[in-house]
Amino acid sequence: MINFEEELKKFRPSLEVEDAEESIYNQDLTDMADLLVRMIQEVQETEEQ
Amino acid sequence: MFCYNCGCHLSEHDYCTSCGADVALYKRIMILSNRFYNEGLARAGLRDLTGAVTNLRQSLKFNKNNIEARNLLGLVYFEMGETVAALSEWVISKNTRPEKNIADDYINMIQASASRLDSINQTIKKYNQALVYCRQDSKDLAVIQLRKVLSLNPKFIRAHQLLALLYMDSEQWDKAKRELVKCADMDRNNIQTLTYMREVDRMLAPDETGKISRRKEREEAVRYQMENEVLIQPKGVKEPRRSGVGTLLNIMLGLVIGVAVMYFLVVPSVRTNVLNQSQQKINQISNESDAKNNTIADLENQIKEIEQETARLQGELERYAGTDGTLQSMDQLLVAAGKYVTAMQYSETSVERGQYFQETADMMDQIKDSVVLEETSESFQNLYQLVFDGIGPYMSVAYYEIGNPLYLASRFEEAIPILEKAVEYNPENGDPYYALGRSYDGVGRSEEALAALEKFVEIYPLRDRATTARQIISRLKNELAN
Repeated sequence: MINFEEELKKFRPSLEVEDAEESIYNQDLTDMADLLVRMIQEVQETEEQ
Repeated sequence: MFCYNCGCHLSEHDYCTSCGADVALYKRIMILSNRFYNEGLARAGLRDLTGAVTNLRQSLKFNKNNIEARNLLGLVYFEMGETVAALSEWVISKNTRPEKNIADDYINMIQASASRLDSINQTIKKYNQALVYCRQDSKDLAVIQLRKVLSLNPKFIRAHQLLALLYMDSEQWDKAKRELVKCADMDRNNIQTLTYMREVDRMLAPDETGKISRRKEREEAVRYQMENEVLIQPKGVKEPRRSGVGTLLNIMLGLVIGVAVMYFLVVPSVRTNVLNQSQQKINQISNESDAKNNTIADLENQIKEIEQETARLQGELERYAGTDGTLQSMDQLLVAAGKYVTAMQYSETSVERGQYFQETADMMDQIKDSVVLEETSESFQNLYQLVFDGIGPYMSVAYYEIGNPLYLASRFEEAIPILEKAVEYNPENGDPYYALGRSYDGVGRSEEALAALEKFVEIYPLRDRATTARQIISRLKNELAN
């Protein structure tokens, strides 16, 4: 049996057009490739030391 | 695929042929990103939009610069009615690759029409408002708001799901199912949709007793949409049935009340208006009548004045005119003139001349008595004066000869008018003055006697009777002085 109140909590307000800019700036765009490059750089730096 | 270290194009080797960097892991990440993209593309093709979103987001987690994956994610969001999310992805895509990017077209498509962008924003605001209504337990308002949202954006899956949830809460399972079917048509593997659908199907499925387990087979209210508004009419409330006789009685009662209202409210008002109008008319007529009466009185006064003037003129005319209509005085003057001319044909000493002169004098006396000489015409006055001057010397002597014996006989009263005529006909004749003065003195008219005697002494100062006259003058002066 579905609980209405619990289900309602799953619904979030939709982003309005005015909020789009802020949403874009706040988006975390870090991907796996960035992490890999950073890890490789850290390993290289450690080896150099 | 390019080297993350130097940016050179990578070959089939696990190292960069340019800088020698190890790219094996990097290549596997890129391959995974592309694999998720391919899977997301396949799911989007099968309208498994939720699965597509998951795969594409995974793809972008591996490679944020996967432009195709990001553009496709935007498209999937747009298809789900999440326009702002779609715009966000396309904007990031365009910033990542400014040139030759289809995201540019998508953005322009949405931003080209201000009304479309406004409509999108209004849809989102209404959806958020509906969500607020739900949390405030104003579910009817939330339903109305969501229906408006879906009329503006029928692809908005979250709005369909929320509406279905509201229908499920109010146990309108059929309507909930309709909304969920629409959701499933757009997004086949949406977990939330499937969960709700299963619940709805369970509620709509026949139970063990063979009856449909709908908790309410009959809806509590009839709902219908008029333009953008949903009207809710409770089903249980019905108009009380009325029999034909009752209806007829009500109509009769209404008619009676209407007639009574007319009689007690409208008729007196109309009557008062009519009376007021009549009174105004009467006042107007009365005023007009007064004005006419005044005019009539003025006219009557004018008539009276005219009649008086006419009478006066008539009398005046009668004085001039005889019974035959000719001017009597003029006729008399002409006759007198004719007699004067006739008299002049005779010698001075003849009896005929004396007779004609006398007749002329009699007519002149009549003319003098009948008209005012000053008011007659100039020619009349000239003719009158000519005749008068012509007969004057003779008539003066003639009257003196008649008056003087009367004076001598002491018949002063009789002598005075005759002697006055003698003086009048010829004022230069001095003889009548003495007799006239003595006659005046005889009757006690001292002032006139004094004037006549002084005139006599002035004309004949050397005559014997002048001495007597002076004595009488002296005496009269003394008397008048006392």
